[in-house]
Amino acid sequence: MSFSFSRSACWVPLLLAGTLVAAPVAPTDTPASAPHPLRVVTSFYPLQIAALNIIGDTPGVTLRNLTPPLTGCLHDYQMSPADLVALAQADLFIINGGGMEAFLSQATRQLPHLRILNSGEGLEAPPTSPAAGNSHYWVSPALHLRQIARMADGLAAADPGHAAEFHRNASNYSARLSFLRDEMHASLGGIKHREIITFHEAFAHFALEFGLNIIAVIEPENGSQPSARELSQTIDIVRSHHIQALFIEPQYPAQAAQTISRETSVPVFTLDSCATGSVTPDAYLNLMRANLKTLREALK
Amino acid sequence: MLELWYHAVDLLPGDWTRFLFMKQALLAILLVMPPLSLLGVLVVNQRMAFFSDVIGHSALTGLALGTLCGLVDPSPAMPAFAALLAVLVSLLKRFTRASTDTVIAVLFALVVSAGVVLLSRGGGFAKYTPFLIGDFLTLAPTQLVRLAGVSLLVGLGLLLMWKPLFLISLSPSLARSRGIPVFGVETGFAVLVAFMVAAAVPLIGILIVNSILILPAATARLWAPNLRAYFLIALLLGLTGGIAGLLLSFYWGTACGATCSLLIAGAYLIAAFGRVQK
Repeated sequence: MSFSFSRSACWVPLLLAGTLVAAPVAPTDTPASAPHPLRVVTSFYPLQIAALNIIGDTPGVTLRNLTPPLTGCLHDYQMSPADLVALAQADLFIINGGGMEAFLSQATRQLPHLRILNSGEGLEAPPTSPAAGNSHYWVSPALHLRQIARMADGLAAADPGHAAEFHRNASNYSARLSFLRDEMHASLGGIKHREIITFHEAFAHFALEFGLNIIAVIEPENGSQPSARELSQTIDIVRSHHIQALFIEPQYPAQAAQTISRETSVPVFTLDSCATGSVTPDAYLNLMRANLKTLREALK
Repeated sequence: MLELWYHAVDLLPGDWTRFLFMKQALLAILLVMPPLSLLGVLVVNQRMAFFSDVIGHSALTGLALGTLCGLVDPSPAMPAFAALLAVLVSLLKRFTRASTDTVIAVLFALVVSAGVVLLSRGGGFAKYTPFLIGDFLTLAPTQLVRLAGVSLLVGLGLLLMWKPLFLISLSPSLARSRGIPVFGVETGFAVLVAFMVAAAVPLIGILIVNSILILPAATARLWAPNLRAYFLIALLLGLTGGIAGLLLSFYWGTACGATCSLLIAGAYLIAAFGRVQK
């Protein structure tokens, strides 16, 4: 029986040749060459909004966000090849820091020359604080103001020609945020019920700033469902502390909260951690203002 | 009507009865374990354990397709896709010459990879992990009603189909000579399995649902002297494993579905060991 071995064997080298052609498409670490617009990449949404305000109309600067619009918090985020390509071409990568960007070590291993601006440097809470180890800095207006200042400095260092514009824009935005922050402090200063339960750990720094006491956090890890033991303990806490409101976020499924709400007759309110939203300059300010309204209603 | 159930459960001992969600979970166990265990007897008999595994894993893909189609609540897409897959497997078994194992393995690969690719776009796969291990604790009353509906449907289907299925497994030509539409019954059974497994996945989890389906029947097979006992023992194992698993998961803080499965697997080991001793 004859065997056309040679004919079928031809396919193997052809396939291998094909992969060799595809290989150069993989991202490599190329240093910036000829003058080009400053390519800024932010790791996720709240930083994108802040950068949008700081950069404003400055010519010669492009901004893009690494993660798709509905990603939300970066817990367990896995980079795609397109993300690595975007980072390979970036001049400045603005991150939140504090461990939020868990994939960072992967990125820096592949791209050792990537210039990283850590907006959250120095914002870590001391180990004894209830917010220790929590990297959701931007949710607290006071900490976000410091992130904005750091971002402006970092951008100015990367592009000294436009430093004046960056600082001017940053100070305008910071002024508006400060005004909102003062309003929030005035409003929330007089509330009596300061004990709350949240369904994600995003509000630790926010609670610290406004003197709220987070008694319990359900689903401390993203996507984890509470066990029967945890649920029953939370229900007991809600009952014993006479909790007024359960706070969920729009980005996460609310079943655990609704179960507790059904069991204890405590209403559920939505607080936005500003991890997703529309890409407009005022987005963060609007979301915070909405949060203020919700808190006033929930904790009166 | 649920109120009657809540009051009834209050009469039982234990700290867990204070909680509404535990009473609902208990009702869910009583609704989902019996049809699964009984169905499992037939699945083991028809040698369809691999098929039911694929159906379980196809829940991810069904969910992905439902989300893609823009459904606000993508959960009906799971049983719909599972049923479609069941019919496809039945057709392929009938009309191709490849072995059933290969056909199912190919579909398994296709279905699972498609599901993961669709759901992991945008890097957000983590929020689907509850489907992998299941969730008995955050059930809404409407889910319980839907579950009751599916269990009733499956119960009726079992009553109609168990005799023809056993005959088919003994001898398809004999069954045909008796006027039983073999292809119709087998496909109908496959679709029934698809509906039940798809309904059970949100509760028990994709990783565990096939174990709950197969283990009671596999264990009962070791002990049962006759057919009626086979069904009865499987049913009892499913129920006791389910109830004990729920209560243990409450005190241990573990996932309910997996705890139930571990208990029934323990029963299997005891039975198998007992068998070896003889």
